[in-house]
Amino acid sequence: MRKRVLVVDDDPDIITFVVTVLEENNFTPIIAKDGEEASRKIKEEKPDLVILDILMPKQSGIKLYRELKTDDSLKDVPVVVLSGIAKRTFLRSQEALTEFGENNVPEPNAYIEKPVDPDELAEQVKKFLA
Amino acid sequence: MKIEKLLFVTEFEELWYDAVQPLLELRKAGLKHVVFLHVIDRDKVAMHRGVGYLKSEAVKLKEVANVRFIDWAESLFEQGMEVGAHIVVGNLVAKIVSVSEDEDVDLIITGCHKKGEMKDLVAGSEIMEVLRRSSKPVLVLKYAESGKIDERLFERPLFATDWSPASNAALQFISLLKDLVKDVRLIHVASEKSVEGTSAMEVQKIRKENRQKLEDDCAVLRDQGIAVEQHLYIGEVVEQIKKAVQERNASMIVVGTTGKGPMRERWLGSVPRHLAEEYNLPVLIVPPDREA
Repeated sequence: MRKRVLVVDDDPDIITFVVTVLEENNFTPIIAKDGEEASRKIKEEKPDLVILDILMPKQSGIKLYRELKTDDSLKDVPVVVLSGIAKRTFLRSQEALTEFGENNVPEPNAYIEKPVDPDELAEQVKKFLA
Repeated sequence: MKIEKLLFVTEFEELWYDAVQPLLELRKAGLKHVVFLHVIDRDKVAMHRGVGYLKSEAVKLKEVANVRFIDWAESLFEQGMEVGAHIVVGNLVAKIVSVSEDEDVDLIITGCHKKGEMKDLVAGSEIMEVLRRSSKPVLVLKYAESGKIDERLFERPLFATDWSPASNAALQFISLLKDLVKDVRLIHVASEKSVEGTSAMEVQKIRKENRQKLEDDCAVLRDQGIAVEQHLYIGEVVEQIKKAVQERNASMIVVGTTGKGPMRERWLGSVPRHLAEEYNLPVLIVPPDREA
């Protein structure tokens, strides 16, 4: 059975690009256009991996990632962050939230800063879904 | 009423990232989430005779805005804030209203200019239209002559009340700012007309009645632990508010919307609109609470 990957991004061009890469590599893409929709779909569809943007309407990837990693039933789902936001910022923001009293969360499985090479993206996804 | 989420509208001409920093003081009032909005005027990319829809221009304008928002968002994320962004093509007022509703923001932040002065920026009339259609308070920010926005803009608000439903909503909004506000200057401007042709005793009676109403509002703020002083002015409203701002060294102005329809406002003018367009001080305009 094909592994299912949730693609969370508000940019239609990026969604088209990522979906194409996934389909060419025999994965089934599921799409969410903002953090809130993604939060719902993660619980409903139980994807095998999440490709996550950070700067999005309604709910950021930073908050969604934290939600995912603090939920016992979802925390083991691998997350590949694909964003224009620097990895350094992502890590600092998580530190800042921990300082404000929220739970500590692990680093994402992979962090790719946009723009992304299709081979690099496919390789990262395969690494966690082999 | 709460202030957890704000919408920061920018055309990258009238407001820059340095205008966001003073707003982070609102964390003391519960602010957690900043949403950026940039609206690309449809005319810039619309169908043109012989050219059609300028898709490459739209992509370029969106990417330029995206690069700026990523930079701004990184600074806020690192401070533990939640951040979102919308870059859309369309009508400015319609997009501000729809995004503010979609995101369910508690406060809209925008710059302002006079109609026709700078075509691409938000005009006072557009702010009034947003207030009519969205029911969200709008804070109009402007750079002072020094080129800066006061970092302590919430410390010394001057609240001009006429005891309308919108003024009552503004009073409630100020109460939410209790951990930011040092002291409020509460004023009412009585019109010259209201004291014309009346005896000295009658004028004193009007004065006493107004001061009692001001005192009632002072009590609401004092109950929240906010220091407040009250003053009564007589004359033309906008002029008297400007005078009061100078006399009382206010850091911002707070007013309710007038509740006039667009046509009446066009003919009779609007106090919030005049203040937003013509004054180099932040103006918080609060519509009546439609849920109350």
